[in-house]
Amino acid sequence: MQTPDEPGIDAGPDMTAAELALGLLDGAERNVALRRLVDEPAFAADVERWRDWLSALFAGWPAVEAPADVATRIEAALDARYAEPIPVVPANDNDRRWRMLALGASIAACLLLALTTMLALRPAPAPQRIPVPVAAPAPLIAAIAPTDKGAPIAAAYDPSSGEVRIEGAVAVPAGRSAEVWAIQGKAAPRSLGVMPASAHARMIVPANLRPAMAAETLLAISIEPAGGSPTGLPTGPVVAAGKLSG
Amino acid sequence: MPVLRTDENTFNSARAALVEALIRTGQEDRDAFRAVYRMTSAKLFGICLRICGDRQGAEDVLHDVYLTIWNRAGAYQPGRASPISWLATIARNRAIDWRRRQARGRVVPVEEADHIADGAAAQDDVMLADEANARLHHCLQGIEGRQRSAIRSAFFGGLTYAELAERQAVPLGTMKSWVRRGLLALRGCLDADA
Repeated sequence: MQTPDEPGIDAGPDMTAAELALGLLDGAERNVALRRLVDEPAFAADVERWRDWLSALFAGWPAVEAPADVATRIEAALDARYAEPIPVVPANDNDRRWRMLALGASIAACLLLALTTMLALRPAPAPQRIPVPVAAPAPLIAAIAPTDKGAPIAAAYDPSSGEVRIEGAVAVPAGRSAEVWAIQGKAAPRSLGVMPASAHARMIVPANLRPAMAAETLLAISIEPAGGSPTGLPTGPVVAAGKLSG
Repeated sequence: MPVLRTDENTFNSARAALVEALIRTGQEDRDAFRAVYRMTSAKLFGICLRICGDRQGAEDVLHDVYLTIWNRAGAYQPGRASPISWLATIARNRAIDWRRRQARGRVVPVEEADHIADGAAAQDDVMLADEANARLHHCLQGIEGRQRSAIRSAFFGGLTYAELAERQAVPLGTMKSWVRRGLLALRGCLDADA
């Protein structure tokens, strides 16, 4: 991309793919380049090629032993993830809203109803648990519409457990992965992780992304190299997208 | 051109062990995940520390990086990128994200980032020491000094054009022009050698 803001200086050749791979861009320029990743497969391939080249530079980085407590914290975070979530009984107004949503005759609404039922059927708090006096935060839902063809996908996010449930699946080519992204306003997409290959997928939203899981946040699914984008940003085509709503 | 001489058996077995541990991590094997951590955490912490320029920040990022690895390992397929490159790219990008969130936080100065030795891979970098590494360093050596310095600073310091220009006290357009010419020359060399 040229820089018309500084006349008299030769902006040099268009090296946007390399610039994105290196992380040189910011602001509007970065957003434009990110957009091209989605729109232009040849550009995306070019970025990938630069990333492969540049990864050789990692050999020059000195290793530093990590403090022992980081390993402990990681273990604790994983333990917590697999512990039983604190049960939540949906408040009555939530129930009503779920039923209202289910009235829609679309496939997405049917899937959402199934999710509602799952949420409602969660076990009541066990007696030994300390009751939580405040009402549990309401779940957020999204109908994720495919950009091309295929059945809609429904997603429900439960703020109390940090879990996203996804009903439905996208077509993923062999050797690739579907990755789920949260896009808040004009911010860059943030990865929620690789979508498990299941028609009833569950994903735990990383703690630092949970504040972004709010109404109007766009959930998008892109096709990425196996294992997910190595860059933390979408590199492949977006195959489905839809906004969260309360 | 400096060619890295490493024991091929050591290289292959270390890489194979990491690939296997990653695959087993993807099957939710916590022991395998611990093995991945043992094999790679010093390398990835070095990356986080260098980019964040802040020890506490680097520790937080490292934590986030390994949770990401746990989440994504399930779909990891050997044969694409080298496993350590894949992991290192996750760490670098997470660390850069962190640094950008720290608005105007103190970061690694360009000079410091640029002091990292060319081509001299440390002993623990056995998994990265391969032909691609030698070729990239060879091609980097072939481009003009200011251009090379800016490209290396962008990579090692996670610096944007605006930050590079500020640190080198040159106009933004000048910095962009340097870097783009350097990248063009680098691509020419890498393509020719491929």
